Amino acid sequence: MGTHDIIFNGIAAFLTLSIYTFLYKDNPFYKFAEHLVVGVSAGYFAVILYYNGFVPKLIVPLWEQGKLYYIIPAVLGVMIWTRFSRKWSWISRFSLAFYIGSGAGIAIPLYLQNFVLRQLSASMLPVGISTWPMITNILIIIGVFCALTYFYFSKEHTGAFGASAKIGIWTLMVGFGAGFGLTVMGRVSLLAERVVFIRDYLNELFRYLS
Amino acid sequence: MPSFLFYSSSWFDFNRINVFIILGAFFIFVIYFIWQAKAGKSLFVRRIAGLDAIEEAVGRATEMGKPILYISGIEDMDNLQTVASMIILGNVAEMVARYEVPLLVPICVPFVVTVAEESVKQGYMKAGKPEAYNPNNVRYLTQEQFAYAAGVNGIMLREKPAANFMFGSFYAESLLMAETGLSTGAIQVAGTANIHQLPFFVVACDFTLIGEELFAASAYLSREPKLLGSLKASDLAKFLIMISLIVGALLETFGITRFTSWFFVR
Amino acid sequence: MDNGKSNLYDWMMNLDRRWVYLVIGVVVTLTAIAPFKVPVYVTPEVRNIYNFVESMEPGEVLMIGVDYAPEAMAELHPMNYAITRQCFAKGIKLLLCCLHQNGPGMVEQVIAQVSKEYDKVNGVDYVYLGYKPYPAITILAMGQNFRIPFPEDYYGTPLDSLPMMRNIVNFDNVKAIINISAGSATEYWINYANGRYNAKLAIGVTGVMTSDYYPFLQSGQIFGIIGGMKGAAEYEDLAEKGGYISSEKDQLTAFKSMPIQTTTHIVVILFIVLGNVGYFMSKKKK
Repeated sequence: MGTHDIIFNGIAAFLTLSIYTFLYKDNPFYKFAEHLVVGVSAGYFAVILYYNGFVPKLIVPLWEQGKLYYIIPAVLGVMIWTRFSRKWSWISRFSLAFYIGSGAGIAIPLYLQNFVLRQLSASMLPVGISTWPMITNILIIIGVFCALTYFYFSKEHTGAFGASAKIGIWTLMVGFGAGFGLTVMGRVSLLAERVVFIRDYLNELFRYLS
Repeated sequence: MPSFLFYSSSWFDFNRINVFIILGAFFIFVIYFIWQAKAGKSLFVRRIAGLDAIEEAVGRATEMGKPILYISGIEDMDNLQTVASMIILGNVAEMVARYEVPLLVPICVPFVVTVAEESVKQGYMKAGKPEAYNPNNVRYLTQEQFAYAAGVNGIMLREKPAANFMFGSFYAESLLMAETGLSTGAIQVAGTANIHQLPFFVVACDFTLIGEELFAASAYLSREPKLLGSLKASDLAKFLIMISLIVGALLETFGITRFTSWFFVR
Repeated sequence: MDNGKSNLYDWMMNLDRRWVYLVIGVVVTLTAIAPFKVPVYVTPEVRNIYNFVESMEPGEVLMIGVDYAPEAMAELHPMNYAITRQCFAKGIKLLLCCLHQNGPGMVEQVIAQVSKEYDKVNGVDYVYLGYKPYPAITILAMGQNFRIPFPEDYYGTPLDSLPMMRNIVNFDNVKAIINISAGSATEYWINYANGRYNAKLAIGVTGVMTSDYYPFLQSGQIFGIIGGMKGAAEYEDLAEKGGYISSEKDQLTAFKSMPIQTTTHIVVILFIVLGNVGYFMSKKKK
């Protein structure tokens, strides 16, 4: 590592440890690192959005390529800015309506196809007790059915229906437990990488100083 | 000339006729139940535990003289959870306006700020307190996920709200915010359909709305015909899905795959 | 005696979280100073992706959608490196894009380093399309023609002037898509790329998101999942056995974090047991 890397990696290590000081309690080091990350990310995103969104999607087509129909989305975009005016904010509703309407129109059929129908057809599994996959299929079908009864809002959870909903919530909790375990793994991974980074940096620092 | 004018894809994709039929049927259910709700027919929705806690939390905030923090997730308005969150925000704003408690709403996505402002303003107007609405309380922080969490944590530690409501779409920042809120002693009610974040809300919050309960909450709180009608329609759709699942599994067991393959888009 | 026991159970239930942080910090530091080797068991869902890339012929195109920011680097960078090295070693061409605003730097870091290792040329062996906002719209547009959302690559070169892009129009011309993501972009890839255009899709996601996408593996909408750093370690293990990466060159970054993962998980399990024992015994007392 050269001097340049030592300095910048040192700043990264310092900021990492500053954020970790929050584990004890809030303090100026954490506040400094927090404000720095909020400010830098906002500034970075603004620049990225300008050069990767605004310029190639509006400025270039309109000014350099002469595609005048880009004025329509540009006007819709400007209409959103009328939100800041008390008198003219009603104009932004047209843009909002177009944005929400087109978004819903594109998303809804595909979500139904991929998140409902495909999953439903994949859950219609043959059941039996002759093979282990058939036994696990029973568990899948019971789990899906009972979880659906938990989210049925038109009937109180009483009697057999309530028992089914109870099995449903237990199925959900088993799933949440698995998700929790995976999340702990994910968080530990982030910690592990930071610790390895700090360890390697300290090794390089001692090597550099000696 | 725009390039899309040259593409020769058909106007109707017959491979997706099943999607069209099911979507059409669902739309009919929704319209029917909305019509029923508007006609004044009583549509039963079971009590959702956790929603009663919202009013209790608002009352507690009034007693303590502390603000309420409302977090609407980190996704844009194209995410249905954010839409549901905005509806709940409107109801919470109405409640908050009646009790005259400050409502802080830090937002992650720029576009959502406009919708949140509208929801909060409408809530205050419904409560008859439009002058109490403070637009500075609905503020954009940053679109960066963990920077947003850091900002919200800062607000929790500095403002020390009495209640934190977290409704919407959350990812890895959920536990960061819920844990910080827990450490400040605030009462916390959360709801999300992102199942990998639910374990954290369940352990760190006093009440959690799981998955679709978030969407049902908006109907339960507002009792608005459109929301109630949509909820009843989705319940009917769920019932049909449950029946289809059992029928499909039985048919598959006997080797009849035609029923299952109808749901599959080629 | 009873008072002593109930105090112990209360202590177990109400243990200050800072003790937990301290113990984990000590365990992690000790393991980092004195690491040991941990065997990694490769799961079928990771092996599916490796075998698919192995089955590709030189000259075929694989698309990698890189949709993560530096905070997810720890889990996703290792799998990104391993897949990129395997592809370049086999002569597979790469088409990369980024749908996360902080992701462009992630792609650049990987592609700049690995292309140098294998003497790969931009525009001939790989093309980096760059970043565009609104993943849903971008993926839908790419399904028609990559040139709609990306008329130029990340470096400002028109796509039509790049030799690699001559016969590549849309998803039909890539063998598969591997999406490496830490956010909602994966959902858009499944919904639009696979759902709308039937593109062959595999995903590499953070540990948190992994359980969310197993239903899509079961339904066949994706053909593999690399889940978190453990998944990345599995892929690195396979890639090392295949001769694509080497521990001597310090290329097994996820693999070498497995000892820390193991010891920390043991500590977390012990604390969970401690807390639950305290909870149930306190409840029993009442």
